[in-house]
Amino acid sequence: MAFVPGQPVTAVVQRIEIQKLQQGEHLILGFSIGGGIDQDPGQNPFSEDKTDKGIYVTRITPGGPADVAGLMMGDKIMQVNGWDMTMVTHDQARKTLTKKKEDVVRLLVTRKSLEDAVKHSKGCYPRK
Amino acid sequence: MPAEVKQEQSPSNATSLAMMQEPQEVVEETVTIEEDPGTPTSHVSVVTSDDGTTRRTETKVTKMVKTVTTRTVRQVPLGPDGLPLPEGSSPLGSYTDSIDRRYMKNGGERFITPQATSTLTRSYNNSYNDSYGETPESQYVRHYGLHDGYADLTDNYGSLSRGVNFRPPRYPYMPNSYRPENSYTLPIRKDDYGHVAQPQVPMGTSTVDLNRSQPERFQPEPYGLEDDRRSLGPEEEEPYELEPDYSTANRRTLQGANRGRTHREPLRDGPRVRGYPDDPIEAELIDERHPYIHGMYSAPLAQPERGSMASLDRMGGRRSPSIDSIRKDPRWRDPDLPEVIAMLGHPIDPVKSNAAAYLQHLCYENDKIKKDVRQLKGIPVLVGLLDHPKSEVHRKACGALRNISYGKDNDNKVAIKNCDGIPALVRLLRKTNDMEVRELITGTLWNLSSYEPLKMVIINHGLQTMTNEVIIPHSGWEHEPNEDSKPRDAEWTTVFKNTSGCLRNVSSDGAEARRRLRECEGLVDALLHALQSAVGKKDMDNKSVENCVCIMRNLSYHVHKEVPGAEKFQDPSALQAPGSTGPQRKKKDDAGCFGGKKAKEEWFNQGRKNGESDKNYDTLDLPKRTEPSKGFELLYQPEVVRLYLSLLTESQNYNTLEAAAGALQNLSAGQWTWSNYIRATVRKEKGLPILVELLRSDSDKVVRAVAIALRNLSIDRRNKDLIGSYAMRDLVSNLPSGQQRPAKNLEEDTVVAILNTIHEIVTDSSENARSLIQAQAIEKLVAINRTSQSARETKAASHVLQTVWSYKELRNALTKDGWNKSHFQPTVTATPKATKNGKPGYDDTTLPLMEKNQDGYSTIDQRDKDCKYKTGDGSVDLTEREPLKNDTNRKHYIRSNRPAVSLVDACDVKPQPVDSWV
Repeated sequence: MAFVPGQPVTAVVQRIEIQKLQQGEHLILGFSIGGGIDQDPGQNPFSEDKTDKGIYVTRITPGGPADVAGLMMGDKIMQVNGWDMTMVTHDQARKTLTKKKEDVVRLLVTRKSLEDAVKHSKGCYPRK
Repeated sequence: MPAEVKQEQSPSNATSLAMMQEPQEVVEETVTIEEDPGTPTSHVSVVTSDDGTTRRTETKVTKMVKTVTTRTVRQVPLGPDGLPLPEGSSPLGSYTDSIDRRYMKNGGERFITPQATSTLTRSYNNSYNDSYGETPESQYVRHYGLHDGYADLTDNYGSLSRGVNFRPPRYPYMPNSYRPENSYTLPIRKDDYGHVAQPQVPMGTSTVDLNRSQPERFQPEPYGLEDDRRSLGPEEEEPYELEPDYSTANRRTLQGANRGRTHREPLRDGPRVRGYPDDPIEAELIDERHPYIHGMYSAPLAQPERGSMASLDRMGGRRSPSIDSIRKDPRWRDPDLPEVIAMLGHPIDPVKSNAAAYLQHLCYENDKIKKDVRQLKGIPVLVGLLDHPKSEVHRKACGALRNISYGKDNDNKVAIKNCDGIPALVRLLRKTNDMEVRELITGTLWNLSSYEPLKMVIINHGLQTMTNEVIIPHSGWEHEPNEDSKPRDAEWTTVFKNTSGCLRNVSSDGAEARRRLRECEGLVDALLHALQSAVGKKDMDNKSVENCVCIMRNLSYHVHKEVPGAEKFQDPSALQAPGSTGPQRKKKDDAGCFGGKKAKEEWFNQGRKNGESDKNYDTLDLPKRTEPSKGFELLYQPEVVRLYLSLLTESQNYNTLEAAAGALQNLSAGQWTWSNYIRATVRKEKGLPILVELLRSDSDKVVRAVAIALRNLSIDRRNKDLIGSYAMRDLVSNLPSGQQRPAKNLEEDTVVAILNTIHEIVTDSSENARSLIQAQAIEKLVAINRTSQSARETKAASHVLQTVWSYKELRNALTKDGWNKSHFQPTVTATPKATKNGKPGYDDTTLPLMEKNQDGYSTIDQRDKDCKYKTGDGSVDLTEREPLKNDTNRKHYIRSNRPAVSLVDACDVKPQPVDSWV
């Protein structure tokens, strides 16, 4: 999933739609994110490429909205409602996810198992 | 507010002013950026809105000031000798480490025992006595041993056991070398550590601190190491830091001296005091602050000269085991904070200064200790020491105050103010000639100036002194230039940087502050001289220049309303129309929300009028002056245009660029004679291409300031034509296209500023609207109008589109390109909130991207409703637009407007910096 900034990215992505859950005064998605261009990518336990400053799903509340929607720990978030998440700061990502007026977020995520699945299903898939 | 009118109105166009609920987004003038003193960077921007109210926002980022007492010391030993250090950790280890701790650990049991006897409650006197008797000896002895060992057996220098081994030989010599100077604690310390790490506390400390307090613009970096890094640069520049010879040459003598001293100087407790500070900080660094850093910085030794740089945390990883064991040793006890504060009042001066130095060290990056010092009433004591005649004492006190004043805890700053610390600092500034002390004073003032309520206090007590003592002398400006001497250049000293940073901060404190600064004798002259000198020397990227430009920018804000006698210069054309153009325009716009015929006519007339008067200005010579202008008049003389343009051309510093563009923006706002001159001068000095070029800047805020400046400049009709012809492509290229932001990823404010500038340019000029179309802007505008998640962007884009559509002569071309009227209609629908109550609801309407579709685009026109509300006139001219209603849309709007709740999980208290629940 490594990519060069400025270069097009090829990734197998899954679309995940999460309906936010009202919890007290807050709407929650039920997962937590790590990473961002202002964070140390070396600390990210999920990335294959330790220079990847993307946003990753670090934790998921069991039974929470994200869990229900099929989000998995370690997923890399590529887009949120159409907004690019591969070159954003941690806080920008958090804000994009927690916009007050949106009660649904649509994510494009990628994960290793997706890539593998695609690779296997197409034996001669050009990539790798 | 005739002057403002132009700018304010710009966001809206002729057709839609009434609808626009937030005309003020178009910032006409921005007052500046402030940067915090050593520290924080703050931006203050003042926006004048329609109703004349002022809105101010400030964001502050604080940078920590570190005290480096111990650190500098450590490095020294390494550097001079140039010895390779066998153990990475040992050399860097502070003297404390190498001496006290090592010994404590290895040989401490045998030799140091006496110390264990000291109890917590003992007074410092006692402790000195105790320690002097035995502890110091053993310490020094060992410590000498260390040195010798290191001198003789270079390779082993770092080893722990060496000191002990050598100890016996040293011992006998001690008495001989006693020197009188040693009787003072401070000097002694220097000596003591001199061999070990000489530049010692006094020097190293202050130097380091200064650096910290530097105004460097804070750049958020991920993990907090930045502080060290930042301080590096400056430190390296510091002359006194690098004195390698000093240590090596004198080593022998110093050692001797130390030995002697140990015996005779009961009061000196240098080593002890110094040793302690390390513990808390190290512990903090190691344990809490940068846990992850250890691995990354395993090679701290590479740059021993960095002193403060080589912060403890780096070596923490390696050293921690020994530290831990040392810290557990019950025989050593740190003086607690009340004790240290009590020492500030000790009758013996060296004790005071040592205590202050220790406090400074303790406070470094430790907000808790700063707060404790405050609560233990330590601040008034420190402030009292500022008036102490001994320079060592007031210097150290000042150093401590600087660290205490740094940070986000404004209570500390207030505490300094409440015990009259500000006048005391200013008094000391007048009194002292010691550069280092001056740096500390100005650094402290800079820190204090970051807190809003203190700004006026600083102005009241310190403005003229800072100007006379620092700004004028360092700027090179001379009040009465000597004919023979050639003009002097500015000196970019730390003192100048600190002082200009302080003034930069206080200059943002509103109209009264601006007035005081403008009228402060010599200030504007000196700042301008300094900037001219910077331009002359092509040295425009440094912090001092940045500070100066920011002050100039702030002082230029609202000059057309605030300077004495401004009314004499009001634009004649503005005066002709009673009531001034402002209100008139607004009224007109209100009446014809949608660009009623009448309104349009007026606009055209006005345009024509502007055009004519403009022609006059072009031919009109600038007013002849009987005498050279001085003081605040210099702010808005057309000559400054060249200065700012030079900065805009040459500087690489984004903050400077932004401030210079902001200054032009401020000066070109308003309707008075001088702003007319400024607008024309920018054109004549070929400034427009320079500004347009900067639209390509990578810096968001530079683009924004330039865009707004262009907008104000286009009040001048000729400028408008030129900008329309030459700047359109660069403006448009900054707009996001559809959902994909351009590479620059500009902030909402910037996008809105650009849209408003475009709006201003196409308003009243179908030629410019044509350029806009040719620049492929319509596609982007429509995309923003439809899909932007920002209501403000959507609105601004929609205004531009409406204006473009209002030019009937362009519609053919537009239709040919596949556009139709619906593309030029606003997308915003009525939302429950919005209809209830104008502004907030309207503003908040952000549509989720995925819910927008073609249908959604044409909706009930919320603006119609707004119009009615605003004007109380239901029969607004709606003929040109047919509001489309669409129930489905409506539904989704309502839905999207549902509860405005924070989506942040309640239990999300930012668990870690890198991980947030959503």
